[in-house]
Amino acid sequence: MSEETNPQISLEDAKALVEALEAGDNASANMILREVTSKEHGELFGEVGKLTRQLHDSLSNFQLDPKIANLASDDIPDAKERLNYVMKVTEDAANKTMDAIDTGLPLTDKINSDIVKLKPEWDKLMQRQIELGEFKSLCYSINEFMESAETDSAKIHAIMTEILLAQDFQDLTGQVIKRVIELVKEVEESLIHLLTVFGEPNQNTANEAKKPVDNNGAEGPIIDAETREDAVSNQDEVDDLLSSLGF
Amino acid sequence: MKILVVDDFSTMRRIIKNLLRDLGFTNVSEADDGSTALPMLQNGDFDFVVTDWNMPGMQGIDLLREIRKDDKLKHMPVMMVTAEAKKEQIVAAAQAGVNGYIVKPFTAATLKGKLDKIFERLE
Repeated sequence: MSEETNPQISLEDAKALVEALEAGDNASANMILREVTSKEHGELFGEVGKLTRQLHDSLSNFQLDPKIANLASDDIPDAKERLNYVMKVTEDAANKTMDAIDTGLPLTDKINSDIVKLKPEWDKLMQRQIELGEFKSLCYSINEFMESAETDSAKIHAIMTEILLAQDFQDLTGQVIKRVIELVKEVEESLIHLLTVFGEPNQNTANEAKKPVDNNGAEGPIIDAETREDAVSNQDEVDDLLSSLGF
Repeated sequence: MKILVVDDFSTMRRIIKNLLRDLGFTNVSEADDGSTALPMLQNGDFDFVVTDWNMPGMQGIDLLREIRKDDKLKHMPVMMVTAEAKKEQIVAAAQAGVNGYIVKPFTAATLKGKLDKIFERLE
């Protein structure tokens, strides 16, 4: 507005106003004042009218989709639940797998140590240097070993199957995450619609908002390391970077 | 050798603990973020710290800085095992005095290699 540079009342009007007041002609003075201010009011009313029309048009153009209300009340909380579910399922799968390995490793260790124990006698047999008594005890030991190896290898098979089944989390979480991605896309589209209808985004502030808030802050796994300049994509690059700095 | 593993995900703590056990380190304790780890370190007799970066409460980088500030702890070797892979973060960790930096996902061989290197330097 040019209020400071252009006076709101012209010199002629001001003089006429002073004259009318000095002459005690209040009716003329009031009329002059009204004329001066009505010009300003007229502009203001015009502007308000224009805005009102724009708002009305915008509102009638923007058909409030019930989907948007659902997004906020149902879908977003639902997505949070889904992501919590993903965390739980993946944690369970990792624990299931590690439990199985914890029970499986001692079994393989036992088979290995049994063989190590049998080996010297067996070698003697192969070199035909075994005595009858040793041969008899070797037979018993091998019999015992075969029996325990039979049950242990069956146990290991069951453990392997458990580990195999524990990988089902990939399928489960994959499906859930897919749905969350769809939801995010819907929210994005609704937001874009909202922006195009209700406002012209200010280019500068939009860019500023994109900047990371805290450069030293943690970001979690980098999902696009290959295309990013500011991140490394594997351990070798970490090592190269550190050694280039003298660490 | 007494080791403290700091990570907010219990599964990752378990993986690291299992890998350390395979390498012969059986005396391993756990903490779920920096603010629980720091008092454990100050009151305990740990020899080595393996920490994540991104944790609620005190983050790994701040834990590292606190360790380097503490007269009793400042010489303790600290290794970061983290998904944080931005160059400036790796540099920041190096400047804060980290002894090793491993990005997730990592292999058992990587962990062993870095541990060997750290202990080599200490001897």
